[in-house]
Amino acid sequence: MSTRDFYLRYYVGHKGKFGHEFLEFEFRPDGKLRYANNSNYKNDTMIRKEVYVSQAVINELRRIVEDSEIMKEDDSAWPVPDRVGRQELEIVNGEEHISFTTSKIGSLVDVNNSKDPEGLRCFYYLVQDLKCLVFSLIGLHFKIKPI
Amino acid sequence: MADILELGIHHGDEMTIDDDGEEVGIEKLKERVRKRKGRGFTASDNSTREVLDNFESISATDNEPSDVQAQRSVEGWILMVTGIHEEAHEEDVQARFSEYGEIKNMHLNLDRRTGFLKGYALIQFEHFKDAVSAKNSLDGGELLGNVINVEWAFMKKSIPTKGRSRRH
Repeated sequence: MSTRDFYLRYYVGHKGKFGHEFLEFEFRPDGKLRYANNSNYKNDTMIRKEVYVSQAVINELRRIVEDSEIMKEDDSAWPVPDRVGRQELEIVNGEEHISFTTSKIGSLVDVNNSKDPEGLRCFYYLVQDLKCLVFSLIGLHFKIKPI
Repeated sequence: MADILELGIHHGDEMTIDDDGEEVGIEKLKERVRKRKGRGFTASDNSTREVLDNFESISATDNEPSDVQAQRSVEGWILMVTGIHEEAHEEDVQARFSEYGEIKNMHLNLDRRTGFLKGYALIQFEHFKDAVSAKNSLDGGELLGNVINVEWAFMKKSIPTKGRSRRH
């Protein structure tokens, strides 16, 4: 039985006076990493990059996800997405599939004042670690500043 | 004659399947799960995200060996190092890898919660031969008591899909 399936997608964005501004990345089961970033501020153009990462990168990503224990959390008490913004984290790890949504999180103060500080803190740090990995991968490979 | 023609048609079919095989692969993977959790599954969930296409990528250059499976990056060859001790210093990693050639760039990212190292490094060499020799020499070796693994970060082709995800 295959318990090694893995898929991860993260999105953060909002629609405002500069249009739809967002950041999204996705690791597909075949290793394809897709990265998109659109900031219309000062007429920036959309960045859309893709590259195949190795199994070693996927394994490390899976380790980061598993260590975070995000799959045990639940988004039911998290702040709902609002006009300020929206975050989505979708992960398939083996037989488990999560698709969490919440608002943008400004800082740890927002986390601590929420109804589920422990769960939201787990999400907050995992997202930072994921972004950090993706920005390094995309930044080094394409020689760009991802944000 | 007919056989050849049929083969040609078959080829076309396979190509088409391959084209959206990726999407099918993700859908199949989602169908196989036993446990779903989160508000993202609810129908009333109004996502602002949009479907994108035309992603840019780097293609292989002419002056590299064709049997190389690793994908070259804009400014060199990048290794993914895992198993790094959380209290290792940049100099420890730098010293070990620079024995094989000049390191053009290194990202040794931190765990945002603990402030210690996350455990992986991305190391860029300008020259393929330097990256290969660092990879071959240091993979499975030891750094501060931890076994480290050294692999390519980027590949030219996808990770081979498991048989069952292609089954109909």
